[in-house]
Amino acid sequence: MKSAEILRASLKWGGLLALAIAVVGGGLGYLVDGNRGLTSALIGTAMSIVFLGITAASILFANRWFGTDLFVPIFFGIVMGGWLIKFVLFLVLAVLLKDQPWINPTVLFLSIIAGVIGALTVDVIIVSKSRMPYVSDVTLPGDEKRPN
Amino acid sequence: MDATTVLAEINGNIATVGYGLAAIGPAIGVGIVVGKTIEGVARQPELAGRLQVLMWIGIAFTEALAFIGIATYFIFTA
Repeated sequence: MKSAEILRASLKWGGLLALAIAVVGGGLGYLVDGNRGLTSALIGTAMSIVFLGITAASILFANRWFGTDLFVPIFFGIVMGGWLIKFVLFLVLAVLLKDQPWINPTVLFLSIIAGVIGALTVDVIIVSKSRMPYVSDVTLPGDEKRPN
Repeated sequence: MDATTVLAEINGNIATVGYGLAAIGPAIGVGIVVGKTIEGVARQPELAGRLQVLMWIGIAFTEALAFIGIATYFIFTA
């Protein structure tokens, strides 16, 4: 199993989990505060899963430069740059959403927490179940025919 | 209003200071995770794939603290 497969699996299962949390959280939000609760739960889940998914997505994207001379600086530039942009976006979103009349802050907060904890759980399960060879991401003779 | 009261007056939301405090821990944590990964990849480039996955899970856990720290902005009001 290559690192890219693990990251892709985490994105896939993270997305599915976000759907589940959106359905459950949206239902609970609707029961608590009608349409305001539903909207807040959906936005909160989307925020948590998108922001946690950016790390895996940026690693996958940065791996396109694997093997080049500048791989290490490019890789960490993209991953850390993505991290910084993500936090600036998150802060801006928080400030913008805070005082909107169509947002229920408590439901939004709880759905963000649910999304973050759920995403972390999925990540841990995927990493603990993955089997990576000691020397990873190498191409052996005959591997060219196999799909990655 | 006497001078002591003016000096001691603080306006605004104290949650802002809370975010500043909440940012310190994850910043140091992610710095250590990424720095150590760079060190590992520089020593053994063929381990890059494994180290990336470990780095990613380390960042995920550390940044979760920062996320929750920022998200508290929604519930804590002055």
